[in-house]
Amino acid sequence: MTTGTRRHRTWLTALVLALALGAAIAAPASAAQASDTPRRGGVLLAVIGADPPSLDPHQESTFANIELVAPLYSTLLQLDPYHYPKIIGDLATEWKISSDGLTYTFKIRQGVRFHDGSALTAVDVKASYDKIIFPPQGVRSTRKNAYTAVKQVDAPDAATVVFTLKFPSASLLENLASPWNVIYPKSYLDKDPNYFKTHVVGSGPFKFKNYTRGSTFEGERNPDYFIKDRPYLDGYKFYISPETSVRAAAIRSGRAYIEFRNLPNADVESIKKQLGDKIAVQETPMTGEWGIAINNTVKPFNDVRVRKALTLGIDRYTMAKVLAPLTGLKYVGGLMRPGSDWAMPQAELEKLPGFGRDMDKNRAEARKLLAEAGYPNGLKVELKNRNVKLPYQDFAVFLIQEWRKIGVEVEHRPLETAAWFSDGQDTGNFQLMVAPTVEFMDEPDQFLGRYATGSTQNWGRFSDPRVDDLFSRQARTLDAGERKRLMNEMEKIVLENAYFMPGLWWSRNLVHWSKVKNYIAPPNHYTNQKLQDVWLAED
Amino acid sequence: MSVQYPLAQAAPAPTVPRLTWGSECWSFVRKKPLGAAGAAIITGMLFVAIFATALAPYDAYTPDYGASFERPTAAHWFGTDEFGRDVLSRVIYGARIALFVGFVASFVGCTLGALLGVTSAYAGGKVDLALERVMDILLAFPLLILALAIASVLGPAVHNVVVAIAIPIIPRAARVVRSAALSVKENQYVEAARSLGAAARRVIFQHILPNVAAPYIIMLTAQLGSAILTEAALSYLGLGTAEPTPSWGLMLSGSASSYAEKAPWIALFPGIAISLAVFGFNLFGDSLRDVLDPKLRRKG
Amino acid sequence: MGTYLAKRVFLIVPTLLGVAAVVFLVMRVIPGDVALLILGGDSSGNIDKVQLAAMHHQLGLDQPLIVQFGAWLWGVVRFDFGASLWTGRPVIEELLGRLPLSLELAFLATLVSVAIAIPFGILAAARQDTWVDYLIRMVSIGGLAIPSFWVGILIILLLVIYFGWGPPLEFTWPWVDPWANFQQMFWPVVTVGYRYAAVTTRMTRSTMLEVLRDDYIRTAWAKGLMERAVLIRHALKNAMLPVITLVGTEFAFLIGGLVVTETVFTLNGVGRFVVDAVAHRDYPVVQALVFLIALCFVVVNLLIDVTYAWLDPRIRYH
Repeated sequence: MTTGTRRHRTWLTALVLALALGAAIAAPASAAQASDTPRRGGVLLAVIGADPPSLDPHQESTFANIELVAPLYSTLLQLDPYHYPKIIGDLATEWKISSDGLTYTFKIRQGVRFHDGSALTAVDVKASYDKIIFPPQGVRSTRKNAYTAVKQVDAPDAATVVFTLKFPSASLLENLASPWNVIYPKSYLDKDPNYFKTHVVGSGPFKFKNYTRGSTFEGERNPDYFIKDRPYLDGYKFYISPETSVRAAAIRSGRAYIEFRNLPNADVESIKKQLGDKIAVQETPMTGEWGIAINNTVKPFNDVRVRKALTLGIDRYTMAKVLAPLTGLKYVGGLMRPGSDWAMPQAELEKLPGFGRDMDKNRAEARKLLAEAGYPNGLKVELKNRNVKLPYQDFAVFLIQEWRKIGVEVEHRPLETAAWFSDGQDTGNFQLMVAPTVEFMDEPDQFLGRYATGSTQNWGRFSDPRVDDLFSRQARTLDAGERKRLMNEMEKIVLENAYFMPGLWWSRNLVHWSKVKNYIAPPNHYTNQKLQDVWLAED
Repeated sequence: MSVQYPLAQAAPAPTVPRLTWGSECWSFVRKKPLGAAGAAIITGMLFVAIFATALAPYDAYTPDYGASFERPTAAHWFGTDEFGRDVLSRVIYGARIALFVGFVASFVGCTLGALLGVTSAYAGGKVDLALERVMDILLAFPLLILALAIASVLGPAVHNVVVAIAIPIIPRAARVVRSAALSVKENQYVEAARSLGAAARRVIFQHILPNVAAPYIIMLTAQLGSAILTEAALSYLGLGTAEPTPSWGLMLSGSASSYAEKAPWIALFPGIAISLAVFGFNLFGDSLRDVLDPKLRRKG
Repeated sequence: MGTYLAKRVFLIVPTLLGVAAVVFLVMRVIPGDVALLILGGDSSGNIDKVQLAAMHHQLGLDQPLIVQFGAWLWGVVRFDFGASLWTGRPVIEELLGRLPLSLELAFLATLVSVAIAIPFGILAAARQDTWVDYLIRMVSIGGLAIPSFWVGILIILLLVIYFGWGPPLEFTWPWVDPWANFQQMFWPVVTVGYRYAAVTTRMTRSTMLEVLRDDYIRTAWAKGLMERAVLIRHALKNAMLPVITLVGTEFAFLIGGLVVTETVFTLNGVGRFVVDAVAHRDYPVVQALVFLIALCFVVVNLLIDVTYAWLDPRIRYH
């Protein structure tokens, strides 16, 4: 029958049309998915601002070291690049912590080989950690003091490493995830523990290719990497270029695809304007804070009223608004990063001197305190600083103007890096000093250690036994809630007495060409540098 | 070991230039228009520097963050910088610093150098030898390290920068003056005077000094421009003046690269100011040298 | 002649010694500690005092100054300039790695400057006080007046903005890849060469002016020789001596003095190396480099003075 056939045909046409439409919609989606499949090959070109004294991460603390060599090595644990601050294993497949918190047992992955072909076993892990925690004579270990809780490290069999502690340490696991704690082959360490200052034998996704000091650093793909199918890249190459604007120009011209540390907002704007979608900018808050160290041992700063007046005089909220576009100093917070698990709640923070919102009230109180302390007509102070424009100089320009409003006249003395460091850290020869705190993760031990008596990071040289007590207690408290409570209490004491003046927390811009895929910028420039999951969409 | 000043010839007795200011100035302008242009620029800058407080429309130090990066408009002729400060006012006050540094560093350096040069030439013998060694050492010493030492120990202030810039000028001036003094010392008038027992002071003042006056003045003007450039370079390296001082070099250093696209006026105007100042000093100095150097005068 | 030469060579020693001593002392006056910088890393690292002391001992920094200076001098006499405190590698090795690039830059810049300066200097002298002279002088003084660090950055920026092009970031030998070498070297050579051309032009002009007034030139005029022949054959020869002096000493300066150019154009040269060493308080490197540069200076001056003395006997008996 014709009617039936026509209905049939209509129905069929509709079906075909529907299918076609569906396919049309689905096709781009599947094409997008197809473009999400990592492409193999290509060399990642990067620029970096300096080169390090040596190639051994155990002995260095500069981004210049870790950015260059991290892809060449493996660590026991690492921070999950996709879920900061979760800790996952690199060489460790699983781990157990005893109930008393004194024994940590790690199972080591089997089948891992160093670049020279030898097998990586637990003895290499033990040897590497012995070098970090108990360095032999003539070998420096920059982070040794983070492991004072560790009594010894053992390798009972080829696949197990055991850390035995003297007392519980809340930060041990985080410290073991440090990107600096790379694993070396024991055979080389036995012969010369300083071998790795100038040589590379690692087990990472890339092998060392070439290093020309002051110029370039190259790595090439490790075909025997223990994670199958990784890395995607054929290799990576760093160009060393100390001037920031020149690095920005290098990215812009395509001579380099990525800068791992930070580019100033102004350069980022220009690059974005010229290249549009070809450039991706990842802006992340940074585990770093710029503050002002006060020398608590000299007059008049040994008087808590003077210190409080100074911190009250700073309008941190306006500072954040004003300095963010210029310098990246963006977030108001206390001693721990705002937005992290450890940060003091905002409501509590605002009750502390320097963090209240009512600036008229704050300034009036500041003047009153100065008058009480014997300075009714104001005060002259000297602010030492580092002679780097961003963010140091701009930070100081704001402070100078703020303090003028409470009658404090500031003489600004920028110093060259070595002198700044020497005056701050070594001799304590300053009144006020701009001092940053930058660590690789939001670990309270790392950030709060500097407020304890006698810490070399305690540039202000103050001493408060309550602070010391709270600090050592929180370091041993394994319960996160209790630990946070102790920490907050410690923070309150420091801020109420204005032993140290936090300024602002930093945010950084990681700029790269869009063709660089699968690189997630962590909130610092030390972690996630292994590059094993990074791929280039085109050469 | 003469470097820049050419070989002294055993020529006829040098004439002591007799200057009557009025006639010399006028003939200078007529014959050396470039030099006159240079002099005009210098005078203009001096004027700006001296009357800075009256001329500058705004405060050069206080930030005004709400007005950052404003383009040049009627309210801000040269625009504003990243802190909202008026660039024109900062450039005007910067003239004070630039000219202060230029004049003082050059004057101190050249005068000390000239004194040493004359002493060295006149005393001769061991004194000369020793002083020459000292000058060589100062000459070979890198300015960067010297500036760093001074900035670290004394602090990054304008007067300290002056010291850092003046010191390398001393050996250069000493050399030039010593050469000129030596050439006089050789000639017969002085020999005669000395053999007649004339006091050293008389010989120096009557014969030697007039002859070294020319190279001294030439050096002075030559070093002025160079001193300003050096201050700019030192500020760029962070060893010169410090924020918030409105020194031209400092204005170029931080902003030059980062804000060059977004707000080019921040670096443009201080850069022009520096270039203009150095240009003016060099033009003037060049023409002055043509006039004062007896060997370069057009004969007849 | 022999005695003069001997005397001059002998006098080099106290000069170099003096330079070495002054640099040694001044560097130690400046606050800053290389060991602290290494241990501290990027900012206020947690530094172990015991490790710091151990490092000082290892680097020889805890010895009395006179011992350190003596040990260094003793090394210099045997051509051993010690090891960098920052990297631990021999200073000479670090230096030699960077020298070729600086030499190439200095050489090419000198070539460019001389090629521009001599003809234009002569022209300006021959046409003194005419518009040709004015133009040449204005252009050369103008070039000198613009701060060098500004120019370099502006050039890179303009190239990037308008052409999307940046210079190569690593050095390749000209015989390995001449085009890459040219791309990297072109702008720095032009920037540096132009400035030195300006200085040399003025010098050429003034020495030519002096020589042109000399009696024997006037005699040649009177004899009716063609102007160009007179200029080139008689005047040029004599005028060149001070110019060669200038070029020689400036070349010595170029090797270690082009910090800003090297930084801006990403050249891994000696100038940047010195500045980094100073920033790190890497004493052996700074001392070695200053010493070597002073040596260059002094040797070049010696050669020039010997040439003068050879040409003008009066000087020898001064």
